[in-house]
Amino acid sequence: MDKISDFILRAEKIDRRWIFLIIGLAVLLPLFFPLGLPIRATIATQKVYDAIEALEDNSKVLVSFEYGPSTKPEIHPMAIGLLKHLFTNGHKVYVTCLWPDGLFMADEALTEVAEEEFNLTYGEDYVILGFRPGNEAVVKGMVSNIRKLFTTDVRGTLVDDIPLMKNINKVADFDFIFSASAGYPGTIEWVQYASDPTGVPLSTGTTSIMVNDIMPMVNSGQVQGILAGMPGAAEYEALIGSPGIGTSGMDAQSIAHLVIVLFIIFGNIAYFIEVQRSKKY
Amino acid sequence: MIGSWIAVFLTLAIFSYLYKDNPFYKVAEHLFVGISTGYWTSMFFWTQIQPNLFGRLWPASQYNPDSIWYKFYNLLGIFSSVFPDGGINKGHHMDLLYLLPFALGIMMLLSVSSKLSWMARWGIAYTVGMAAGLRAYGFLNSNVLGQIKGSAFQIFNSDLPFFALASESIFNNFIILIGTITGLMYFYFSREHTGNFGKLSKLGIYFLMVSFGASFGFAVMGRVSLLIGRFVDLIAYAGPAYNHATLWLLLVMVLLLGYSAFSDKNNTSENESTLEK
Amino acid sequence: MLWKRQIPILIATVVGLSTLFGWFIDHPTIESFIDDDATQWYDILASFAIFLGALNLMKLQGKKVLKQKSGWQYSLFAIGGFFFAIVAGFIYKGNDAVEWGVHVTSKGTLFKWMFEYMFTPLSATMFALLAFFVASASYRAFRVRNLEATLLLVSGIIIMIGRVPLGSSISSWFIMYLLILIASIVVNIKFKDKKITFGTLLAGVLIVTIWGSILGWPLDQPGLFYLPVLQDWIYNNPNVAGARAIMIGIGLGIFATSIRYIIGLEKSYIGE
Repeated sequence: MDKISDFILRAEKIDRRWIFLIIGLAVLLPLFFPLGLPIRATIATQKVYDAIEALEDNSKVLVSFEYGPSTKPEIHPMAIGLLKHLFTNGHKVYVTCLWPDGLFMADEALTEVAEEEFNLTYGEDYVILGFRPGNEAVVKGMVSNIRKLFTTDVRGTLVDDIPLMKNINKVADFDFIFSASAGYPGTIEWVQYASDPTGVPLSTGTTSIMVNDIMPMVNSGQVQGILAGMPGAAEYEALIGSPGIGTSGMDAQSIAHLVIVLFIIFGNIAYFIEVQRSKKY
Repeated sequence: MIGSWIAVFLTLAIFSYLYKDNPFYKVAEHLFVGISTGYWTSMFFWTQIQPNLFGRLWPASQYNPDSIWYKFYNLLGIFSSVFPDGGINKGHHMDLLYLLPFALGIMMLLSVSSKLSWMARWGIAYTVGMAAGLRAYGFLNSNVLGQIKGSAFQIFNSDLPFFALASESIFNNFIILIGTITGLMYFYFSREHTGNFGKLSKLGIYFLMVSFGASFGFAVMGRVSLLIGRFVDLIAYAGPAYNHATLWLLLVMVLLLGYSAFSDKNNTSENESTLEK
Repeated sequence: MLWKRQIPILIATVVGLSTLFGWFIDHPTIESFIDDDATQWYDILASFAIFLGALNLMKLQGKKVLKQKSGWQYSLFAIGGFFFAIVAGFIYKGNDAVEWGVHVTSKGTLFKWMFEYMFTPLSATMFALLAFFVASASYRAFRVRNLEATLLLVSGIIIMIGRVPLGSSISSWFIMYLLILIASIVVNIKFKDKKITFGTLLAGVLIVTIWGSILGWPLDQPGLFYLPVLQDWIYNNPNVAGARAIMIGIGLGIFATSIRYIIGLEKSYIGE
């Protein structure tokens, strides 16, 4: 018994680079040897899906891209899943970005989904208005008058010449808002300055780290459900029946979580042995 | 092709920090600082300053080459990418009131010289004032009142079942109400946490701890997802379409770092032996 | 003093008050100015703030090179990176078919190339690096020292396992057996009597086995011991309670600070 205890105590103090290596392998190996674990939707993800399903045909949906390459693995799969869902149900999509990087993400997602998969027409089925700096002031400006803020779209076309922009002057002209958000400015600003004051329903997909900042608003009904991180994206992909990048990452995610939990348990066993020994002497 | 090799090199250079701080990492880190600064500058300029500031000061719709205002504009034309011939066509009308934020902005830039550093204050004061005005309302309305409504009213909803694990129920709403109130009691520092108040605030801590635990779980989840994303990219770049960029660069980097670790070791042992002598 | 102190405070107060009361004013001209133009001015100043930040950073790196401070060679990369981005942003488009301004996101431009092959891997890897440090921290720092720490740890673990597909593959019966094992260990530490420990273990295993046989071992029943369901309950209830207390607390704090800025009590932005 003492030998095992000694071993555990010694293992607790190993060079942290060994831990790095184990975590690296725990993520890498399942990417090569997928297990195909089943995916089960959580309540909050189901709420997002139901909110989109409940939209009337031809609804005008404002999708805001507030993330960049640093959080792309978490949010990009959600954005793609959401766009597929919206276009399948025949809705019109208007894209804005509160983050400069969001512009690139939006362009990539729409090229993949709207252009290549659904063969839709830019300016008639979807439009990218672009990025404007100014955080909450941009949201506030859009609530009052979009046309003063966005006079041209991302391709340099005057907004007045875009057919899809007919009768769109302010946020209240949309039927639904979705914020794909990785932090500030993002979901909270959309709730505070757009959804709460105008009553346009809003749903969101966020990074895992942000989830707890938004959850109280989901519970109070200010936000219609939330997609939480890459697992949230995978759940959404399962609901719309179109597995993508989110789903393919879930085995690695599972194994890495398991390894980290085992680390925590092992660390605590070592701690327990230490405490017992110090009591003895 | 060259782009993907650069991307792989930069990715591996940053990962090399896991082994130890080294020149590869330092180069990548500094490059990141420089490139993102230039990237942000360009993005903010082309999405706001050029279309919405210059576009309002010298709009193409009111272009008149004989007016002094546009003659001055034509002088700026040496920077033809920013000030194209015939005015800026971004769908604006002329609005010279925008000279005011322009002036505040120029003052901000002048403050880079330490003698004029106070000049930035006017512009900063404007942004501080507006952010405060927006936030005072936004946070009170959505984060405080919206949340109190969320907690208080749902408990009296008679349509809900008394107990349900996987959906809304009176029991669940009651838990949320108790947790919120006791949690807030813990944050209330104007009264000593003793007696019944102390017990309740202790209960509040337990709710906060559960919440922090969940936040920790989510933090782990997020970081792991990002790592998955990087590995997926590296695996793609290891394919034949990119001439196995990942594998080659990994090999070169490991060899170089290994060599430097080896020669460092030799140097220290040589130094030690000199000291012994 | 007037220029450096009174005027900025006046600007903050006037802008703050008009923005705040803009929510309640019903006069088209004033409303339109506050909502449309004043916010645009903010956006413009936010952009200038970014330019100022860039200038300051380059000034700092430049000084480091000129004075040859330690690691000055690396500063050359920062300056080089900045100038490369500026060239891509303002001087060389790389694709003549697109206009200036549109070029930032257009295909085939140098700027887009830089975003894809330099900015993306650098920023994405910087963030991904943290996964390793989170793992190593959880190995070393998470200890069940008291009830609070235990609650934190248990809720963290349930979320971590319950939210991923692995969690939905773990039967609730397995969790029950696990709990009985843990309970027996606790009993053993408390009473230090092998008979009591063994008795607890045997009784627990028997009860769960009989119960399971009657119900036919359904994976997700009883829900209380099925990790995805338990996880969702924690996430939607006690977790929301704690998060809501924090949200209300922060909301009140930001409200109070904002009012202090508007009425000129808080003057940190002019260095006081």
